[in-house]
Amino acid sequence: MTEKRASGGFYAWLLQRITGVVLAVLLIAHFIVTHGLPHPSGVTYARIAPRLATPTWKVIDMLFLACALYHGLNGVWMVLQDYVESEGMQTFLFGVLCVLGAILFFLGAITVIPFAVQA
Amino acid sequence: MLERPNVIKHYRWHMGTWAWVLHRITGLALVFYLVLHIWVIHNISSGPKGFDKVMGVVQAPLFLFLELGLLGCVLYHTFNGLRIMIVEFSKEGCEAHKMVWGAMMAVAGFLFLLGGVPMFVHFLHSIAG
Ligand code: HEM
Ligand code: HEM
Repeated sequence: MTEKRASGGFYAWLLQRITGVVLAVLLIAHFIVTHGLPHPSGVTYARIAPRLATPTWKVIDMLFLACALYHGLNGVWMVLQDYVESEGMQTFLFGVLCVLGAILFFLGAITVIPFAVQA
Repeated sequence: MLERPNVIKHYRWHMGTWAWVLHRITGLALVFYLVLHIWVIHNISSGPKGFDKVMGVVQAPLFLFLELGLLGCVLYHTFNGLRIMIVEFSKEGCEAHKMVWGAMMAVAGFLFLLGGVPMFVHFLHSIAG
C-alpha cells in the first residue's frame, strides 16, 4: 500500500541526489569561508559583508539556499511518508512543507539579493 | 520515458541499519539548523550594529562548542550521502561497498580533525576571554 509512495517518484529521487552533490561542494566551502578556516575568527559584519555584497557570492548563496531547502524539505517529506499512514494527513503535511519552503526561500532571497554594505 | 532504476526500492539495503538511522537523524538536525540559520542570518540586512549584536549571542562559547557537533553532522551526512550514491550508481562500488564505507568515513574523520581542531582552539580562546 504505502510501497509505491515510500520512496517518492523518480524525479524526486534524482533531484535529491543532484542537490546532494551540489550541496557537498557548497556546504564544505561554506564552512571554510564563514569560519575563516584554517584560522577561525568570529562571524562579524566587517568580515562577512564585503564578500556577500559581490554578485558572485549572491549567485552562489542563492544556489545554496535553493538546493539546501529543496534537499532538506524533500528529505523531511521522505521521512514523513515512512511514518504517516493516512493519505489525508500526508497531503496536509506536504502542504505545510511547501509553505515553509516558500517562506524560507523568500526570507533568504530578500537577505541576499538586495544586500549592500552599510557603514 | 526514463526507467525508474530497480535499485530505488532496495536502496536501504546498501545502507546498514545504523548508517541509515544516523543519516536520517543528521539530515533532520541539519534541517532544524537551516530553518533557524536563515532567520538569524536575515539580521545582516539591519547593518553592522544589529548583525554583530545577534551574532554575539549565537557565538557564545556554548554555541562555538555545539558547532563541533554541527560539523560532525555535516561531515557524516555528506560522506554517507556520497557513499549511498557511489554504491547505487556503480557496480564496482556496490561490490566493494564495505571498502567504500571505510574510505568515506576515513575522509570524513580526517576533515573533522582538520576543521574541528582549529574550531576547538577557537572555542578555548573564547572561554579564556
Ligand atoms: C552536503 C551534502 C549532502 C549530501 C551528499 C546528501 C545526500 C543525501 C542523500 C543521497 C539522501 C537520500 C538518502 C536516501 O535516499 O535514503 C539524503 C537524504 C536526506 N538529506 Fe541529505 N545530503 C547532503 C546535505 C543535506 C543538508 C544540508 C540537509 C539539511 C538541510 C540534508 C537533509 C536530508 C534529509 C532530511 C534527508 C532524508 C533522510 C532520510 O530519508 O532518512 N542533507 N541526503
Ligand atoms: C556554524 C556554521 C555556519 C556558519 C558560521 C554560517 C554562517 C553563514 C553566514 C555568515 C552567512 C551569510 C552569507 C555568506 O556569508 O555567504 C550564511 C548563509 C547561509 N548559510 Fe550558513 N553558516 C553555517 C552553517 C550552515 C549550514 C550547516 C548550512 C546548511 C544546512 C548553512 C546554509 C546557509 C545558507 C543556505 C545561506 C544563505 C542564506 C540566505 O539566503 O539568507 N549554513 N551562513
